[in-house]
Amino acid sequence: MAFAESQNPLRVYRIPQSRYIDAVRWLSPVSPSDRFAAIAYFDADTNSPSIEIAYVDPNPQSSSPTLTPQSSWTSPSRISSLRTAHSTPQPLLAAATFSGSLHILASDLINGGVMESEATVSQLGFHSGPVSAVDLREGGIECVSVGEDGRVNLVSFVGDSSKLNYRRIFDSNGLVGYTAVKWASPSEFATGGYGFGIQWWDQRTPGGPVLQFKGNWCQGKTSGIVHSIDIHPSRKHTCLAGGSSGTVFAWDRRAAQQPIVLSGAGTGEAPNSLLSESEVWEVQYDRYTRRLNIGNISSTRILPVMICSEDGILAVIEQGEEPLELLAEPCAINSFDIDRQNPSNVICSLEWESLAILTRS
Amino acid sequence: MPGVSSDSARGALVPLSPESPAAAVYPLRHGLKSPISRLSISWSRGNSLRVSVFAAPSSDGSVNDGDGGKVVEVKLGGGDGEISEAHWRRMAYGSVSPFALLQSRKNAVSSLSKMSMNSSPYDGDWWDYIMEYSKDINALLVNQKSASVPVLDDPKSFITKGEEPTSLKATWELLEMFYAEKPSHSWLPERLVDWLADYDSLFSGTHPTVHSKLVDFQKELVNLQVVEDDPKYWEVMSSALAVGWLNIVVKMLRLHGSYRLDQLSNRETENGLVEAVAVLISKMPRMRLEHEAGKLGECYKAKPDFVKAWEKWRGQINKLDSSAFWFQCAHQQTREGLRSMLQIMLGNANSLCSATYNWIELYISHFLYMRPLTVGLESMYSLAQKSIQLKPMASAHRLMGLIIGILGENTEVVLAECLKGFGPWMVAHAIELLTAGSDHAEMLLHEERQNLGGISIEELHRLVYAQVLSSFPLTWQIAPIYLISCMKHGMVLLQILLSKQPVQDNQLLLKSIEICRLYELHSVTSNIMKIAGVHHWKHGRKGSGVFWLQQARDEYRLNRIALQLFDSVGKTISDESFKQWEGLIQLLGSDSKTAGGLEFLHKYRDFKKSLRQIHDGKATDSARQAVESLISLMKNPSTPQRFWLPLLYDSLKLLNWKERPLLNVSQTNLLLNKLQELSMARLRPDFIESELPPQALNSVRLALGTNLGRAILEE
Repeated sequence: MAFAESQNPLRVYRIPQSRYIDAVRWLSPVSPSDRFAAIAYFDADTNSPSIEIAYVDPNPQSSSPTLTPQSSWTSPSRISSLRTAHSTPQPLLAAATFSGSLHILASDLINGGVMESEATVSQLGFHSGPVSAVDLREGGIECVSVGEDGRVNLVSFVGDSSKLNYRRIFDSNGLVGYTAVKWASPSEFATGGYGFGIQWWDQRTPGGPVLQFKGNWCQGKTSGIVHSIDIHPSRKHTCLAGGSSGTVFAWDRRAAQQPIVLSGAGTGEAPNSLLSESEVWEVQYDRYTRRLNIGNISSTRILPVMICSEDGILAVIEQGEEPLELLAEPCAINSFDIDRQNPSNVICSLEWESLAILTRS
Repeated sequence: MPGVSSDSARGALVPLSPESPAAAVYPLRHGLKSPISRLSISWSRGNSLRVSVFAAPSSDGSVNDGDGGKVVEVKLGGGDGEISEAHWRRMAYGSVSPFALLQSRKNAVSSLSKMSMNSSPYDGDWWDYIMEYSKDINALLVNQKSASVPVLDDPKSFITKGEEPTSLKATWELLEMFYAEKPSHSWLPERLVDWLADYDSLFSGTHPTVHSKLVDFQKELVNLQVVEDDPKYWEVMSSALAVGWLNIVVKMLRLHGSYRLDQLSNRETENGLVEAVAVLISKMPRMRLEHEAGKLGECYKAKPDFVKAWEKWRGQINKLDSSAFWFQCAHQQTREGLRSMLQIMLGNANSLCSATYNWIELYISHFLYMRPLTVGLESMYSLAQKSIQLKPMASAHRLMGLIIGILGENTEVVLAECLKGFGPWMVAHAIELLTAGSDHAEMLLHEERQNLGGISIEELHRLVYAQVLSSFPLTWQIAPIYLISCMKHGMVLLQILLSKQPVQDNQLLLKSIEICRLYELHSVTSNIMKIAGVHHWKHGRKGSGVFWLQQARDEYRLNRIALQLFDSVGKTISDESFKQWEGLIQLLGSDSKTAGGLEFLHKYRDFKKSLRQIHDGKATDSARQAVESLISLMKNPSTPQRFWLPLLYDSLKLLNWKERPLLNVSQTNLLLNKLQELSMARLRPDFIESELPPQALNSVRLALGTNLGRAILEE
């Protein structure tokens, strides 16, 4: 396994928070030098969940980055999923909760990062039980939410109404539970769930998923759950997924039912060594690449992927190469986010109530 | 933890001192208007109690606002306030890695020493490991709220405010210097001097200290015009000198009025005396390795060098003391003040006693000025006893008890003081230091005791700490690290801990399963999965339920679930609801082992699919496929009996296929037999009638009969 330190300098800063972090996301900055992050906290002492916008000062005099809280919003329940849409200067946040509600928040980064709840869905029939994942469409007028209750809801918001309207796209009545969701295009999105299954949906074809990537492809081995999906805007035919048993795989919709396993279960004699054996909590395409142009990479080749795992690994995987380990923590890394504008910056949340900020250079 | 008895023979683990604080009263704000009829109290997370208050139902039966009940959480205690809960948790997280590393090194060392019989386990790198552990833990105790260091050096401020000292860190440093530093105890007295300089302020809360006097004087200094006229100035300086804070004393001496330029000429002798004392103080020989940069005093590593310098230095003091210049010093306070400082430096017992405020300060002053060559715990202990006699105190500070315990080599006392003062975290981690170098302590702490249920004191305290960790939702995940280091009961308690974790949330569930995987607790894993499966199933998340039961390979429950699922299948597998089932059926996969009775669903789906295709008009081929599915379904023992008739009724179209008979003779016979079996079964009382039209059975029988005839003809 290759370690990052030996190849390129990597600076890691751990910032204790004294609160559990349920999710963390970068916000798109107003100016190139600004860094803002949205952090979903859970204060175990007072039993109160909240979302805070913090200004991340990457290089104050004391040489390690500091977080300056800008504003805070108290959530009615713990945050199960947090996504941001990259619109400036008022980035939108979509936060889903364990009590089954969805909240759209807007933050004004120019005026001190004030955060306001734009709208809320918490009707009884929205989701039964927790919302397991939510995704906000780029440009931010639509939001898709899924749950283990088997409901797929589409929430559209056009500004002023504080009560959001939602449309039930599908309800499996609990026969199928969904644990991850990601938009692919304005009308298409992908969901993931049990048995490493992925479903492809198209709003133009209602009534159910258009395509299903069958679970249980790793016959005989332990199956698992998809925890996170990512789709690259230039490779919409490929769904990247991460889940149980250190599994990271891609499903090329053009190539039927055979997954491209990048790590973990089912790799068999694959050349890449096993990176992690536990849950891969999040996957994202790593836009920070040493290569000049991703256009040069063949379209069948999977782009570099960053993952974080329960056994404390933050790493970059490239198809057919040794994974590059960025962090190996003694505790779980529960979520991370790569800065869109400046992909050398990564923020991640650690199980032991702290954040880590990485700067690659 | 209940430490009840003062009678140690009955096996009390934690002596509960009779002077422990009186019962605490926690007011409950339940906001109920009606009288309370019932209370229920249970433990909540951490050290909170959950109190459920039930109001008495109103007598006239009307429902009012505030009726019913309320559940409130009451947080007990809150530590000593010195360290916040978040900081405790940060310490708990941070100490995991050093603890685990030390354990694995210990195991390696002990297995190595087993291989080569003669070598002692404490050889080689052992002390480096212990020291590394101690330093790692010590680094966690730094208070985050570090005070800002002033950039400009204020000539009038002699107390620099660094980081806020805590008793916790003071305790750890004591343990470190006595137990972890490679036993070269000749430096111990000087280490204690440094320690007191750092932590004297901790005693200020309960006792007068040199530090508190200094702080008071610092405040008054602003209002003083002529500092040397104030007797307090001399008093405070003597005290600071007695405990060896040389830099402070010299800095204070330089505040003396005779240094002022306008007075220098007419107070020349006086100034010369002040300066002479200041120089003597800054030249004080110290028996130690080295000083921090900027600290006054001269260090000697070797004893002979030190003794020589010490004699010479005392000679200089004596010479100054008996010099004639004192008569020329007109200022009385200066003369008396300086000479009493000289007495302290000469080790005058009375001067030392009056300059210090508690026995530890007196003790330190004895090391500095009377017995700088004290070596060995025994002589240090007897000196401490003497100091306590000279300065008896009504109530002892927790750190003082600890120091006495350490000096008296009384491991039990040290442990008890650690537990009383700082709780289970401290004890669990301090034991590593206590057992590091002392065979006696190791025997004491590792001996298995009958009155503790066959475990050692070390294991007991680890278990207690693990129990504390387990009770908090954020720290339970690190409890396993401590539990597995407990040979006797650790594994069982770990299994209980994991089995008790909530299963509602997938993320938490997977974290528990991950811990099971690390420690190879496969039976616990499958139990947790079963619990999770049933939980999800009960809450209508059928897919999740089936998944977890499949993972647990729990055929029994899968079969039970199958029966319930079939009920809804009978009603709902219509064409439009097919998409809902699709996902679940895919999840089941084709491996019948993990699907249990649910395998039927898979085949049923295939059958329905081909039937539907017939409707779509892709005639004969689909029909043939449908027949194959039908036959394999009817042959399969896992197909529930109550589905036989609906299946056959659905296939009427196949049986009456116009072009030619689709079923051959043997196939038709099979179906007829099944039909016969079904007719018999209907006579049994537990038979479940399917919701079909009453003539269904007859029409199937008729169709089968016709088909049989046609098939015979064709053959």
